[in-house]
Amino acid sequence: MNKSVISVKNVSKAVAGRQLLVDVSFDVAEQSLVSLIGPNGAGKSTLVKIILGLDPHYEGSVVIRTGERVQYIPQLTMNDQYQLPMSVYEYISIATNRLYGATRKKVDFEKTLIHVGVATEKLYQSYTSLSGGERQRVAIARALLGDPTILVLDEPLAAVDYASRAGLYELIRHLQQGHKMTVLLVSHDIDSVLPLSDQVLCLNQSLHTDCHPSEFTTKDGQTNQTIHHHC
Amino acid sequence: MELLTYTFVQYAFLGGISMAVLAGMLGPFVVQSRQSIASDMFAHVALAGIGAALLVGASPWWGALPALIIVSTLIWWLLDSGTYSPDALAMFFLSGGLALALAFVHLARDTVFSFENYLFGSILTLTTTDVLAIVVSTILVAGIVWFAWYPLLGATQSPRYFVPFRRTPKVVQLLFFWLLAIVVWVGIKTIGGLLIGALLVIPVLATRNWATSFKQVVLLSTLASVLSVSLGLITAFYVDLPPSSLIIGMTILLFILQSVARFLIQKKGG
Repeated sequence: MNKSVISVKNVSKAVAGRQLLVDVSFDVAEQSLVSLIGPNGAGKSTLVKIILGLDPHYEGSVVIRTGERVQYIPQLTMNDQYQLPMSVYEYISIATNRLYGATRKKVDFEKTLIHVGVATEKLYQSYTSLSGGERQRVAIARALLGDPTILVLDEPLAAVDYASRAGLYELIRHLQQGHKMTVLLVSHDIDSVLPLSDQVLCLNQSLHTDCHPSEFTTKDGQTNQTIHHHC
Repeated sequence: MELLTYTFVQYAFLGGISMAVLAGMLGPFVVQSRQSIASDMFAHVALAGIGAALLVGASPWWGALPALIIVSTLIWWLLDSGTYSPDALAMFFLSGGLALALAFVHLARDTVFSFENYLFGSILTLTTTDVLAIVVSTILVAGIVWFAWYPLLGATQSPRYFVPFRRTPKVVQLLFFWLLAIVVWVGIKTIGGLLIGALLVIPVLATRNWATSFKQVVLLSTLASVLSVSLGLITAFYVDLPPSSLIIGMTILLFILQSVARFLIQKKGG
């Protein structure tokens, strides 16, 4: 137990003389839920891209244990008015189709939708007509269909209304335990991630410490500053 | 109906409807990927290919095909490098293609050649070989779109719908550019290089609000495109106007009609 599935060692990155990440090192233990928190511009997304292997230009090393299947749920933004209609079925199928070697049947789609708390009738509805919370759940369903052992979520609540947030976090925790996944969750919503995280990493260019939940005294609307000051 | 007994009319309908299917099918991918201007860029590059073919004594239309495939690959590579903004690249190839075409045609000293046929199309003068090439192109593109439907859908989405950690969509984007190059190639022969963009885009705009899935958008825009081409061609035999202008006129009319219908439905619904 507690073997490291993601190992980040001395990762630094600078762009045009500006230091985005400075000597970041940490390990993510197997089947744990690790939150990476920090204010805007702290380098969270940069670090995630490096971990996912989407950005090869950095110093240091990132090792993901052999055999792990990583699924990434990028940050959803608000509705894009130019987006052409796309059904939920199509949205899920973009990643799960025969050319990408991940054929899934409709029944798998339906099961997974129920699993993440979305009615199966939504399968043929327009993805853009869904609420932010539903979209996030559908995005999670799409990732789950890839049968991941590691799930990386970037700001899962960015496009979700306040009322749906608690439910979504509960879902993430529930899925993590049920599927025995390792979850890396990127967020600046410190209040919500603290109770469910096994480990909290506080990033602001460099990793400050393994911030223990009790070290945070957050107030609504001041999360960014709070993270910064208390790290 | 008597008109349909003429070979040139049959060819016009066969070539036109084939092209309509091509444009209607690929149009939603073009609009979705915000590459609407790319068809214009490709068309201007095709003109340079036509000029070069003229210079070496080859068939102008066939000369456009290699030029389109080579330059679409170049544009894909330049866009992928991220060094130049898409609009600046568009202007580079739009004007550059036209300038080259002008120079080539001047050097070829062909007094009979007219660019107008390729700018505004010559659907009423299609030969058997032309129609055959157009139909084969349509079958080829339709087959590829059917086979690579979801990868194409993924590669032409806004970046946030991309699925990283899967096979990169970059290769699929190149495939998409090649498909678009083929559509433009067929377009310069039929409706014209300057007008194919309208046939790619307007049917999508006219039907997008009536669909709930991407597949529906593709089906509806193909239908709208075929309808516009058919009505435009039929009208062209009775009205003394260029067929291309009538075809695009029909797409605009369709767009206006659906806008009014939508307005009325929304008003009725409160």
